[in-house]
Amino acid sequence: MRQNLRILGAAALTAALSASSAWSAESADPIKLTLHDWSGQLINTKIMGSILQEAGYNVEYVQADYIAQFAGLKTGDLHLAMEIWETTGREALDEATASGKVINAGDTGMTAIEEWWYPAYMKDRCPGLPDWQALKDCSEEFATAETSPYGRYVGGPVTWGGFDEERVEALELDFEVVHAGTDAALFAELESAYQRQDPIVLWVYAPHWAPSKYEGEFVEFPLYSPECYSDPSAGVNPDLAYDCGKPRGPIWKAAWAGLPDKWPGAYQIIQEYNLSNEEMSAMVGKADLEGVDIDTVVADWMSENKDLWSGWISH
Amino acid sequence: MIHNTKLSCRNVWKLYGANAQEFLSSNPAPSGDDIRQAGIIGAVRDASIDIAEGEIFIIMGLSGSGKSTLVRCLSRLIEPTGGQVLFDGVDLLTASEQELIEIRRHKMGMVFQHFALLPHLTVLQNVMFPLTVQAAPKAEAEEKAREVVDLVGLKGREDYYPRELSGGQQQRVGIARSLVTEPDLWFLDEPFSALDPLIRREMQDEFMRLQARLHKTIVFITHDFEEAVRLADRIAIMKDGEIIQVATPEELVLNPATDYVAEFTRHIPRSKVLTVGGIMTPGTQAEGMPVPATARVSEVAEQIIAADAPRPVCDANGRTVGSIGRTAVARVLFGAGEAA
Amino acid sequence: MKAHLTRQAPVAWGLVLATILLGWFGRDLAKALDARWLVKVPSSWDIPFNTYISAAMAWLMEEAAVGPVSFTDATRAIAWLIEQPYELALNLLARGFLFDPGPEPQVLLPAASWIAVTAAVIALGHYCRSWGLAALVGACFAYLAVFGQWDSAMITLASVLIAVPIGAGGGLLAGIWAYRHPLGERILSPILDLMQTIPIFAYLVPILFMFGFGPVSALVATIIYATPPMIRITIMALKAVDPEILDFGRMAGTTRRQLMWRVLVPSASQSLMVGVNQVIMLTLNMVIIASMIGAGGLGFDVLAALRRLDIGAGFEAGIAIVVLAIAVDRLSQAFAERMGQVHHTTPGSWAARNKRTVLVLCLLAVTWVLGRFSPLLLDYPQSQTITTGAFWNDTVKYLNVNYFDAFEAVKVFFLQWFLLPIKKTLLGIPWPWAIAMLTLLGWRAGGWKLAALCGAMSALIAVSGLWAKAMVTVYLCGASVILATLIGVPLGVLAALNRRAGIAINLLIDTLQTLPSFVYLIPVVMLFRVGDFTAMIAIVLYALAPAVRYAAHGVRSVSSELIEAGLVSGCTKWQLLRLVRLPMALPEILLGINQTIMLALSMLVITALVGTRDLGQEVYIALTKADTGRGLVAGLAIAFIAIIADRLINAGARGARIRFGLES
Ligand SMILES: Nc1ncnc2c1ncn2[C@@H]1O[C@H](COP(=O)(O)OP(=O)(O)OP(=O)(O)O)[C@@H](O)[C@H]1O
Ligand SMILES: [Mg+2]
Repeated sequence: MRQNLRILGAAALTAALSASSAWSAESADPIKLTLHDWSGQLINTKIMGSILQEAGYNVEYVQADYIAQFAGLKTGDLHLAMEIWETTGREALDEATASGKVINAGDTGMTAIEEWWYPAYMKDRCPGLPDWQALKDCSEEFATAETSPYGRYVGGPVTWGGFDEERVEALELDFEVVHAGTDAALFAELESAYQRQDPIVLWVYAPHWAPSKYEGEFVEFPLYSPECYSDPSAGVNPDLAYDCGKPRGPIWKAAWAGLPDKWPGAYQIIQEYNLSNEEMSAMVGKADLEGVDIDTVVADWMSENKDLWSGWISH
Repeated sequence: MIHNTKLSCRNVWKLYGANAQEFLSSNPAPSGDDIRQAGIIGAVRDASIDIAEGEIFIIMGLSGSGKSTLVRCLSRLIEPTGGQVLFDGVDLLTASEQELIEIRRHKMGMVFQHFALLPHLTVLQNVMFPLTVQAAPKAEAEEKAREVVDLVGLKGREDYYPRELSGGQQQRVGIARSLVTEPDLWFLDEPFSALDPLIRREMQDEFMRLQARLHKTIVFITHDFEEAVRLADRIAIMKDGEIIQVATPEELVLNPATDYVAEFTRHIPRSKVLTVGGIMTPGTQAEGMPVPATARVSEVAEQIIAADAPRPVCDANGRTVGSIGRTAVARVLFGAGEAA
Repeated sequence: MKAHLTRQAPVAWGLVLATILLGWFGRDLAKALDARWLVKVPSSWDIPFNTYISAAMAWLMEEAAVGPVSFTDATRAIAWLIEQPYELALNLLARGFLFDPGPEPQVLLPAASWIAVTAAVIALGHYCRSWGLAALVGACFAYLAVFGQWDSAMITLASVLIAVPIGAGGGLLAGIWAYRHPLGERILSPILDLMQTIPIFAYLVPILFMFGFGPVSALVATIIYATPPMIRITIMALKAVDPEILDFGRMAGTTRRQLMWRVLVPSASQSLMVGVNQVIMLTLNMVIIASMIGAGGLGFDVLAALRRLDIGAGFEAGIAIVVLAIAVDRLSQAFAERMGQVHHTTPGSWAARNKRTVLVLCLLAVTWVLGRFSPLLLDYPQSQTITTGAFWNDTVKYLNVNYFDAFEAVKVFFLQWFLLPIKKTLLGIPWPWAIAMLTLLGWRAGGWKLAALCGAMSALIAVSGLWAKAMVTVYLCGASVILATLIGVPLGVLAALNRRAGIAINLLIDTLQTLPSFVYLIPVVMLFRVGDFTAMIAIVLYALAPAVRYAAHGVRSVSSELIEAGLVSGCTKWQLLRLVRLPMALPEILLGINQTIMLALSMLVITALVGTRDLGQEVYIALTKADTGRGLVAGLAIAFIAIIADRLINAGARGARIRFGLES
């Protein structure tokens, strides 16, 4: 219990486990990794942290917000963010790297999709899907008492960004965006609707267990391009930006610019580190569906993949 | 009892309201109407008094007449709007904060209507408090405090908290506390008004007993004329912030300056106010045991009425100055209500 | 007067009706007139306050400096100062003293054993008052251990131990300053108004910038949140000291400092302790929000449970917060009481005089030494903890599976017949009309000053580009307050009239009020899922208490003579209530509703966590984007709404009291 709390606790508790290592010459200050509010990120970060600990570094976990953490990364209050999704974090990451105080430490090997998603049974009620144009005609199929006559789209927590309000306006969809407050609430909505075959369209992301557990598809919006987001004249709607789908792409690691100098060895490990979508989806499923403790999931991965990560360390 | 003046005030004003200060400097002697029209409250208006050393000077008047305000001007707890306050010849109103603190620490004491005891301190600590703030040596302070606690008859209750005492006992603590620094000048703002009549009497006696030993200069506020008469050397009567008359109790009864004063004095038994000297027949002819001229009529009435012939009256030096007989006493006792 | 009133009533009702009609048809009207600006403030009119504020913040963080010391240096120095005692407390209670630095941190000394800490609070309880208190706090701490909340609770306790003294002490000093300088009070008063009405989320971002990521920022935020009541209570308490006591102090020849610290403060100590109690309660209230920016402990557990929708874990951590609050509060009250008294020291050596301290220190040392061999002495064995989590989870699951349709029906009913009509109306009211009406209302209730305040504040909201979100806020808050009033006032009246019902209702209200607000969110979200209805339920639960309390108090304090007069004139029970009790209690009830509005607004921001689309959400987004300007502007807009509501209702309540001759 005590051990769990130390690791989970956001009060920046140092986990006091370690092994001897070649890197002991580097700074003994703790490397601060940020924790956010979805299981995949927690797992990803804890694995990274465990590997760094195995390599002899001090590690601290700090609860920080997905976007707000950049302020801390710039000042060096925080050192490493393990999941900056191309889909939602790219702008913030670009802005931060442009300041010269944050660096992109490479991708995690995972590719992110975040998009509107619907269960397969909705295809019967709205035959044009997955093409987005279909949503225009059958928005009422997605309506609930609260949003009627508009359709209801359950967005992610507001903190995830995503520009869904803008998208709805730019593509002239008769939908209202209702934000789930948390990751769990989002998938609770899906679970509840799916069981009773209620209409729903919501934010789903991958890597995640949901797309494999439930039968369904992502909506196909006009393809993303940077211009579509930045330039109103580009895209379907000549007057508004965000008239396309969300970008897809890698999940990046972002680090404080001082990290490579202070902990050069650690930085190498960080760059080496990568996981696949499948691995991650499986682990998230274990945690969220089977209720396995996140630390246990991490520990299992560590013991099963010892060769892999020791390879990263010894490089 | 003519001594040098201990405390005096000259033309003291205390006005409440916006721009009271400017108002007074533009019009140094405003009338009641002027003040009212300017929307200002005249709590004390043009008060001038001289209080002699060792005197018990009583200020009385109805509620809201400005008694407390005047006394607080005299001790400069309130900054008067205008005028002068001289204490031992020093102008209090120009004294610096430091000087004022020194004067209050050593020369003034005050007793309050609702006792103003510090709830978190015991009796002894309350009494010691004025010495504590002077940083007096602890043992010495404690000894002195025990002395005065003893003096006011609270021995054995040193470790009680104020809330564990009756009203009368609390006021005894207040009195002890105001005496612990051995002040020359003693202010008492309605010290007994919050007490039951019986306790009040007891406390008045106690007060007289103390004064007989201590001989302080006393400024005492009350709205109870009977109390004033019992205790006072001189009485100042206030109405609407103004001092209407300053006189001995006897003069007040015999020569009220205004109808207001007369109304005030009407209901008090005159025998308790008038002295033998005031109603005697001057001359030296009477025989028998002399009665002192300063005695109140009520105190000696019984023996005079019981006597067959008028009794001689003597002054403080034992000289016979007049005589007094049954008729004079009876007129005082039964003629109450008539103007003298 | 009568004629005046009767002439005015139709006008007033006419205006209300006009407003409702305008609101209902506002959108269509705007469309028909092709004047969209009527319902939507044109964005070209927006004044970009948020960019100004963000720019000012950036300047403050990057350039502001006095000589060689930059602003950031100063704030970081403060952070460092706060961090030292915090680290100490944290090490002692939760983390243990580690041998830093080094890649292999060695535990020099583990955290104090749960046995030693529990013994220490028991000893403290006995020292401060009695065995009764000792038993109570001992039971509280034992609860924390047995229910497996110990480690988190100790982290929380460490921050409470730091935040409360700073908050209470700082509040006291600020209050004294304001008491001494009349100008000080005039400066502080609006600042306090804002501090108490701006949602905490809004100032978390600037605090993060200034004090860095981590527990210190959380502590600073907690202190800012918890201090205002202490300042207010200090000013009030000092002013309420009997003027005679003040006079006495001055006549005793005290210096200014002596007068303050030896006369005024001790005399006011009872009221001051109420302030300290407030600080403790607010600190513990804040722990959850603080955990969003890096304070760990119980708050983080509740937050994590909310994120996982794990109601069992949330409830247990929430109750642990309550238990901790009870223990800390009772101990501090007793401690202050004891400090207020003098005690005769018994002779003897130090050890003989401080038996309890010696005992606790021995226990601490023994558990430390023996703990090396038996971890049981250091950590409460995990296998022995009890959890009720499964029970709560199962209950909610059961309800969800079996009563889903019933819940859904209730939800749809409320949405269709209550929430949505209000929303449509409010969002449809043309904003110029709304501003005009508010100004008029202000003028009627409190003269031109209030009119100017209402007009200016609502206009500012309009030009800051937040009108629509502000209206959603008013709608959610308004709907919740209406519901809370409809439920709360009758409950309060019942509690006042029926003793047994009163006890039950009081218990309910106490529980609702002490449970951290986040805890309600979990079951409500699980049963009703995200949306306005869910938010409304959570807000009603949280904001119900003052409506009940004030109504009960108002009805209870109607003078018995009036009741007798009513009885003598032959009123039935019902008439007595309707004609005497309720009208006389009206001012009190209004104040209760005022408090309900304030609580509703503060809860609104928290419901943003489960997805609402109002100013609360705006603040929350700003927090997560670290956008100082955006957060503060939205926070100020909420504060403005709160202030307008507060002033209008207070003016109304005063009007009512004057009408009943309770005030002149
Ligand atoms: N701070 C103040 N501001 C305005 N008016 C004041 C103030 N203090 C006193 N007054 C007014 O001055 C007048 C005199 O008050 P004061 O307290 O001196 O009366 P008092 O004779 O002591 O009455 P009581 O017997 O009730 O103590 C009263 O009319 C009172 O209303
Ligand atoms: Mg008075």
